[in-house]
Amino acid sequence: MAERLANRIKEKRAELGLTQAELAERVGVTRKTVNTVENGVFVPSALLALKLAEALSVPVEELFRIER
Amino acid sequence: MLPLLAILLITQQGAFFTQNVGGNRTVDHVKVSAWLVMSAVILLALVTGGGWIYPKRVRDLANDEATQVNRLKALRTGFIAAMLACLALYFLTFVEQVQVREAIHIVTTAGLTAALLSFAYMERRAARDG
Repeated sequence: MAERLANRIKEKRAELGLTQAELAERVGVTRKTVNTVENGVFVPSALLALKLAEALSVPVEELFRIER
Repeated sequence: MLPLLAILLITQQGAFFTQNVGGNRTVDHVKVSAWLVMSAVILLALVTGGGWIYPKRVRDLANDEATQVNRLKALRTGFIAAMLACLALYFLTFVEQVQVREAIHIVTTAGLTAALLSFAYMERRAARDG
């Protein structure tokens, strides 16, 4: 069965009132990268996943989950 | 920068195959040299991420994780296209004589064009609003 990495970035970002560009600036990547991770187009490395979680002030396991 | 180079490469190669192939005039040597330089620049840009005129901090930001993955995927596509062009040329030699220069142009153009177009497509898709 196909597995995919689901995330709650959009939801958490909205809670903090951040735009994709603002989150990208906090993490040190481009808006394009935040967009692709958010939409599930790109699976981030562990490093980037941790940085995103840190920037959104949530544990990484709350931000990402495996969807089966 | 890369989409512009792709257009230039395709235009230049179109002109190469519609005009005198493998000529030995000075102008032909200039054309081939220009093509060689442009091909090398495109390859280097695809391998390193380009943007050499910008400071390292800007280059690192533009060449972030997603872009690096897109570049690697594009290089893989380019490699496959070049190999397919080689196979096609091999079979073509059974029915028609192909000059070495022509073959090199075809393989290089196929590889670089496929890589550039693939990279442009993935970058545009990544930039699209979700």
